[in-house]
Amino acid sequence: MTSISFTGIRKTFGATVALESLDLDLQPGELVSLLGPSGCGKTTALRIAAGFEVPDAGIVSLSHRDITRTPAHQRNMGMVFQSYSLFPNLTVAQNIEFGLRNRKIEKTKRLTRVGEMLELVQLDDLGKRYPHQLSGGQQQRVALARALAVQPEVLLLDEPLSALDAKVRSTLRDEIRRIQTELKTTTLFVTHDQEEALAISDRIGVMSNGQLEQLGTPEDIYLRPASPFVARFVGSINELPNTNGSGQILVRPEDVTISTDEDELEMRGTTTRVTFQGPVTIISVRVDVVDLLVNVHAASGSIHTHVGDRVSLAVVPGRGIVEAA
Amino acid sequence: MNNPRFRQLLGRSVPTLILLASGIFFTFPLIAMARFAFQNLQVIDLGWNNLFDKWSFSSVTASFSDEFFSEALTLSLKLAVGTALFTLGLLIPTAVWVHLRLPKARVFVEFLTILPYVIPAIALVAGIVVVKPHARWFLNSDYSLIPFYVVLALPFTYRSIDAGLRSIDLKVLVEASRSLGSTWLATLFRVIIPNLRAAIISSTFLTVAVVLGEYTISDVLLKRTFPSFMAQYRQSDPRGGYALAIMALIGTTFLFVAIGVLSRSRSTKLQSNSPQLKNEILT
Repeated sequence: MTSISFTGIRKTFGATVALESLDLDLQPGELVSLLGPSGCGKTTALRIAAGFEVPDAGIVSLSHRDITRTPAHQRNMGMVFQSYSLFPNLTVAQNIEFGLRNRKIEKTKRLTRVGEMLELVQLDDLGKRYPHQLSGGQQQRVALARALAVQPEVLLLDEPLSALDAKVRSTLRDEIRRIQTELKTTTLFVTHDQEEALAISDRIGVMSNGQLEQLGTPEDIYLRPASPFVARFVGSINELPNTNGSGQILVRPEDVTISTDEDELEMRGTTTRVTFQGPVTIISVRVDVVDLLVNVHAASGSIHTHVGDRVSLAVVPGRGIVEAA
Repeated sequence: MNNPRFRQLLGRSVPTLILLASGIFFTFPLIAMARFAFQNLQVIDLGWNNLFDKWSFSSVTASFSDEFFSEALTLSLKLAVGTALFTLGLLIPTAVWVHLRLPKARVFVEFLTILPYVIPAIALVAGIVVVKPHARWFLNSDYSLIPFYVVLALPFTYRSIDAGLRSIDLKVLVEASRSLGSTWLATLFRVIIPNLRAAIISSTFLTVAVVLGEYTISDVLLKRTFPSFMAQYRQSDPRGGYALAIMALIGTTFLFVAIGVLSRSRSTKLQSNSPQLKNEILT
């Protein structure tokens, strides 16, 4: 198993700074997601790891071996792209075999490996099909099998699920995690979908404007955001005026309690919307000029409030982060 | 005039009439030429009453026995193959490079490749005449025509390759290949070229058509290519010369039909491969 490290990586495109000074270490067998909005530099970091971009400064190393200037074809990394990247002129089996042929592996071993990979992604019967005869989800599975067939030191996934519909996305997401856990391949996963990152990752790196805002476990990122940006970007957030000073307090909807007794809790407001979503009901309450969201879980009992009702709210003690003005 | 039915009728019939007139304008001279070349009748006797009389291939078969016929045809075919190979060898790496690394230069390259279409061949000939005394070592060879033909075919061949590259997700395919351990050369031969098959066939056919039709430069450089042979043969046997011209025209037409068929099958395949369509099928 291999580790990969980014040390002081800086990359600019003309006047645009794509990466400011990225420091990131992936431990052997770990799956780290880079999460952030468009243009935050996450894809640039992945492309630098793949060898498709050369950083202006900094070092990329693979198990302490400097690969910053190593050409892409000599890096032994597997990559799955956002768009369907299968070679249209080759069958599924030939696509998977492609990287093995480049490594001059003998035919019998190649064919055995192709069979194993097809089994791994559960497409055993589709080896002879061409890419245009597959669905989007199947194509991405083949792309994953192709990337893994060469037993890469690091697997790079560049938003591999974003072109798929919701149901296929969720299934394939679980499958990627299953396969990654089974093979213990060190994996860098780039996504702008927070749900995807929270579900699949050992650790998440949240990026903004070319910088890593926070690197931590999904629980850390969600429950203990290191900055207002992370708090706002991952999950829903309420922004309350700070009564004890300047700035705002950022609170998750599940960290706000609600009572139908107007005098019971410290803040008073009017219910403006009630959205029942099965396991959770989202209640929107207007307090002064601010709309606050409150998540009420079905397990904690139902709250009978309707649009126009007066209610009272309170922040769970110890939760919420203060953002300075 | 304001009657809607009349206007509808006019709307339908005007395009048909224009198409018909264009068809007559285009085909009548060809029919007249074919009658002159293939009907064993005196020109003065050609009329509507003997439209189907005495058609024969004798004029064209007679030209086959000319001592220079096979030599000229062989040279032109060799030049066509050479030009096609030279064009592909030059254009594919250039177009790939422009698409991947210099996308902003695409407009400039397109402009550059269209120049031979804008500047007439005779201007190129004027240049050759100036250079000729200093480059006899090169221009004495029959194959010295190849670079000129490559330039003359550029407006057609570059567009064909360019369209082929636009129809595939070049950047992703190249990066996928590189990440799987392929060198640039392996990527070119194992990924790019197989996926440009239709574009390469179109480009080759267009090159062959240009080579089989180019007369000016080969005549100035005193090369006995097929078009030069046709022009000379026409002077000794006008009917045979025009018969050969018609046969060449038919051959070229077949090439273009083949391009059309291949391009259609390619575009159908690409459509069925598009993610949007795939999603529609799935939903």
